[in-house]
Amino acid sequence: MRQVNLQLFGAFSDLEASREIVVEVAGGTVADLRQALRELLPQRWPEFRAGLLDYSAFADQQRVLRDPDALPADGRVAILPPVSGG
Amino acid sequence: MSTTSIVKVVDRTLAAIDPAEGIAAVSDPSFGGIDVFIGKVRDLNVGRAVTGITYDLFEPLVLNEFKRLAAEVETAFGPKLKLYVAHARGRLGIGDVAVVVAAGSPHRDEAFRACRQLIEAVKHQCPIWKQEHYQDGDSVWSEGCSLCHADKAPGHDQHHSH
Repeated sequence: MRQVNLQLFGAFSDLEASREIVVEVAGGTVADLRQALRELLPQRWPEFRAGLLDYSAFADQQRVLRDPDALPADGRVAILPPVSGG
Repeated sequence: MSTTSIVKVVDRTLAAIDPAEGIAAVSDPSFGGIDVFIGKVRDLNVGRAVTGITYDLFEPLVLNEFKRLAAEVETAFGPKLKLYVAHARGRLGIGDVAVVVAAGSPHRDEAFRACRQLIEAVKHQCPIWKQEHYQDGDSVWSEGCSLCHADKAPGHDQHHSH
């Protein structure tokens, strides 16, 4: 297991006042992080609309990551729900 | 002459976005055309009375994306082109400026088209989220465009109006 420090944005920022959660991930890819969240969200935040995860992307500090990509070495990942700028 | 682009995020608690700054940034003695898009907070959305909007941004990635998108616009409409993008963060009131995109070029056609392409990309592809605050006290995060396939095609419904 590895720990990911997940930065929360948009609707996900309502989960924690600190806007960050630690997620235990059994694997080294973004897909593994997505799977870990699929299990964690309904357990820890049963009121939250967990289906939003399916439409959300992940990113490191520079770019959007795809599900087959490796998790960043520093363990810092941002979750990006559907965007609505402007 | 190569393209000059200026991109920034402006914290509402520190300053307001000034469209005049955008116009100055894309001005040039050789440019005869400047197009500016100003996005402001309006008081109604889908029939609900809105009192304000809070913008949340992932700033390092937003700035990267603004630069990348400006480079794409330069490829399409440059090289004689100057671009400016500023987006607000934090809580805004009705009438506050949320975003300014400006494009300057020798002639109006490139300026209009560059500005339009850039504002559409900013709205659909950048990690920015808005939470609308309503008169009844409720607040809701807007549903927008998924970035899950942003490297293929914009992942949004073509019929939407945001």
